[in-house]
Amino acid sequence: MEPSLFLDDVNERQGMFQRRAIVFGALGAAGLAALGGRLAQLQLFESTRYRALSEHNQFVFVLSPPPRGLILDRNGLVLASNRPDFRLLLAADEKTDVDAVLADLAKLLPLDDAQIQRVKDLVEDAPRKAPVAIVEDMSWDEFSRVNVRAPELPGVTADMGEVRVYPYSASFAHVLGYVAKVSAADVSKTGPNSDPILLNPGFRIGKQGIEKTYDLDLRGRPGAKKVEVDVKGRVVGHDPAGDVPPTPGAAIKLTLDADIQNHALEVFGEESGAAVMMDCRNGDVLCLLSAPSFDANGFVKGWTRPEYKALAEYDRKPLYNKALTANYPPGSTFKTLAALAALENGFDPGRVYVCGGVWNYGGRPWHCDKAHGALNLHDAIKQSCDIYFFQAALTLGPDRLARMARSFGLGQKYDIGVGDQRAGLVPDAAYKRRAFPRDPVWHAGETPSYGIGQGYLSVNALQLCVMCARLANGGVALNPRLIHSIGDVVQPSGASAPALSVSQDHIAFVRDAMVAVVESGTAAKVAKLDLGDIHMAGKTGTAQSHTYAAGSHGAHGAQGAWSQRDHAWFIAFAPHDAPRYAMSVLVEHGGFGADAAAPKAVEIMRRALLKDPEIRDRITRPPPAPPKPPMESAA
Amino acid sequence: MTMSAISQAGERDRLIVKLREIDWVLCMMLAAIAGIGTLMLYSIAGGKWAPWADHHLGLFVVCFIGMIALATVDLRVWFTLAYPVYGLGLLLLLAVAVIGHTSLGAKRWIGAGGFQIQPSEFIKLGLVMALARFYHGLSAARARWSWSLLIPAALILVPAALVARQPDLGTAILIAATGAIVMIFAGLSPRVVGAAVAAVALGAPLAFAFVLKAYQRARLLTFLNPEADRSGAGYHIIQSEIALGSGGLMGKGLGLGTQSQLNFLPEKSTDFIFASMAEELGFIGCATVLAIYAAIILVSLRTAAIAHSHFGRLATAGITATFALCVLINGAMVMGLAPVVGVPMPLLSYGGTVMIAMMAGFALVLSVRVHRYSEVTSVVGPFV
Repeated sequence: MEPSLFLDDVNERQGMFQRRAIVFGALGAAGLAALGGRLAQLQLFESTRYRALSEHNQFVFVLSPPPRGLILDRNGLVLASNRPDFRLLLAADEKTDVDAVLADLAKLLPLDDAQIQRVKDLVEDAPRKAPVAIVEDMSWDEFSRVNVRAPELPGVTADMGEVRVYPYSASFAHVLGYVAKVSAADVSKTGPNSDPILLNPGFRIGKQGIEKTYDLDLRGRPGAKKVEVDVKGRVVGHDPAGDVPPTPGAAIKLTLDADIQNHALEVFGEESGAAVMMDCRNGDVLCLLSAPSFDANGFVKGWTRPEYKALAEYDRKPLYNKALTANYPPGSTFKTLAALAALENGFDPGRVYVCGGVWNYGGRPWHCDKAHGALNLHDAIKQSCDIYFFQAALTLGPDRLARMARSFGLGQKYDIGVGDQRAGLVPDAAYKRRAFPRDPVWHAGETPSYGIGQGYLSVNALQLCVMCARLANGGVALNPRLIHSIGDVVQPSGASAPALSVSQDHIAFVRDAMVAVVESGTAAKVAKLDLGDIHMAGKTGTAQSHTYAAGSHGAHGAQGAWSQRDHAWFIAFAPHDAPRYAMSVLVEHGGFGADAAAPKAVEIMRRALLKDPEIRDRITRPPPAPPKPPMESAA
Repeated sequence: MTMSAISQAGERDRLIVKLREIDWVLCMMLAAIAGIGTLMLYSIAGGKWAPWADHHLGLFVVCFIGMIALATVDLRVWFTLAYPVYGLGLLLLLAVAVIGHTSLGAKRWIGAGGFQIQPSEFIKLGLVMALARFYHGLSAARARWSWSLLIPAALILVPAALVARQPDLGTAILIAATGAIVMIFAGLSPRVVGAAVAAVALGAPLAFAFVLKAYQRARLLTFLNPEADRSGAGYHIIQSEIALGSGGLMGKGLGLGTQSQLNFLPEKSTDFIFASMAEELGFIGCATVLAIYAAIILVSLRTAAIAHSHFGRLATAGITATFALCVLINGAMVMGLAPVVGVPMPLLSYGGTVMIAMMAGFALVLSVRVHRYSEVTSVVGPFV
């Protein structure tokens, strides 16, 4: 066959091809060399920068919440601590099918419809991808079952957090308060409550009591965990070397004694009221009880609606701290101060008034419990004669009484670390002018009832305890101290207080009368300590819970419907000869102080005295006193 | 005796002689790349054969055997099949347009009894064969500049347009570039080449504004300034550069590349496998692989240069050009020198169709070398 392409044409094609192949080969080689150069630039010269970027991709720091500080009683007994909490978190974004995830989870865990709805609400409220707790407090069994399956459930992680626990939740619920989940209102834009740790799932913030007041001390500082994440943010590893450990919250030691406080709650049973005890030498509060109480752990977990409703609507009001907010007239316990005020103003203690059961003044009859007959001041306190004090008060007027009441600590709030207090009211002429613009005059007819602690006067159990302590310690104006120390920082003692400008003799007179109250007065049968030669001194009181119909004042206090009965007060200190412990007891709607409040004071006081080693020595000491200096010097 | 055996017409048809003439160095280099690919796929799967490494290696072994078998097929058979292969490729492309299914917003695949194939990969081989077949019968003068060149232009533009419609702009440009390179190898006038380059340079901005789809424009803009959109379109480029750069000289070690193991690197088994390798094996590994690629390209070009037949020459050159373009484009893309286009790293990336097409191409290259003394045929024209 004749070739159609001539030989030179074939050669021309071949030559052309080979020349161009060389050009293309060179171009290819140049291209590859350029790639090599770029590789060298990235991998050899800029490698350090990219390595840092890669680490930044790979590792993120996640906040690790600090362990919350413990709260201890005076002896180091733990009143609030933390326990592990196995929980399940869900971090959802708009692509997550929450229904499907929860349906899958329901196969592994018991999840009822209410829980599922709650989780859906939480997810909706939470910022995108912010984890929310689906289930808390899982058993180990449930935890491990879910933990194995978690990688298959998008956005679900099982982890272990810590949750607050109150071992003696009922006795200390009001003082400690509680922590609960952070609500939107808790988070602020600046300041400590803008800390992102607040958004950590399961993080809890102090909502009441000491937990609230000292939240920042107890909270500590969050640390960070260096974790390895994949591109979806799922944690795939942990680099412990890169962790910043959290700073645990400071421990707070209280002056309270768990023994006394727990016993006080037992003594109250289902009755409603408060008991406060102070060391009258230094102001340490040993007992600050409000009854009935509630389980603070319920707030940590979150109450169900019916549970919370039951607590909130119970007529004995377990959620209120009655020691600080249940303000009532002090009743006859105020006669101690009325007597002191009289003595300070030149009243002759030997002055005799005759009590015939009824006293006419200002055109109306004023009643007493009974006809006490002729009484001096000492006996009037012992017998708690109203008619004596009506008349004694008239010699003083409201302002002198008010001055004495204030100097003994009534009508004020105390800086004890529990914020929710009501100051109550110590009335005087100025108060009348201020509060009653239509009738701005203190009428003489308003003074007699002031002398028996009725009328406008309104106090709470803590204030009465302070009053009692200041009487017992001879007029040192000590303040109550509830917080012994925060971390290592010991709080100032309440004892570094100035003495009141009140005559020691006059205070001794009142104290003697209070001893007589227990020995042979209104609390004669009900306030015996039964601890050898150690006796209690005290004063009963009864506060009207409502205005009686005219002429019906008297023995109706303990009768009728519970909510109509009078409030019973009792203040006491012991030992009578060398006072250490002062207390006040309030029994709401308890009737008479002697019947309802005094026996409780005895029970609680006995516990305190028996715990005191020096007192125990004194009780067990053989009758002939050894040649030793008196006990006071040891204090 | 080997040289004489292959140069003797009678001897060179014996199978044993052909097998001896196969370029085993080229074969080993291809196997080396596929081996490194398998190693990387094993590593980025977290030290597991599934889901990539086992398939990759298995398919390579099958393809390798097929390649050796095809290499012994007489070049005249390849020559005869050139137009039919091209025609079949075109039919498959049309089929994709009609019945293909959509993946990631593009119609690129057709299913065939459990298999998924990407016809755009096969058309590259078909195009190279058809162009070589056409120029085999064309005189140098007419190859320089004549009306006959409308035929190769049509052979190139029809499949390129079909692929661009899928839309797969990267592959379409690759097809057009491959075809253009074959035309230049065949002797296209330098003035025409210069004019065409000028036209592309001027037309590109117009095409950018009026022809490209929004996502394609975005990709190009992102390439120019990846930092502008760190978590969006710029993400691929940034993560790839981090993977490369953090590898350093020695790499982080097999299985220790955090960028790929933790999935920060996109498409780590396919288009960005070079970045995974760079991260774990470092500059040393990358330079080695690039050197092997360079050697494959040069060895193939030499085969083209020593072939007696114009068909063999041009086919080999075209296949080499396809291969080289893939390596350069993918390398440039991974290193942040080119926009992100779906061009895999040959034999390193996971992907069945690409590997089959690439290995079939090298079967032809090997066959050209085995049959380098064959004139194929002294035909009278491009279609006779």
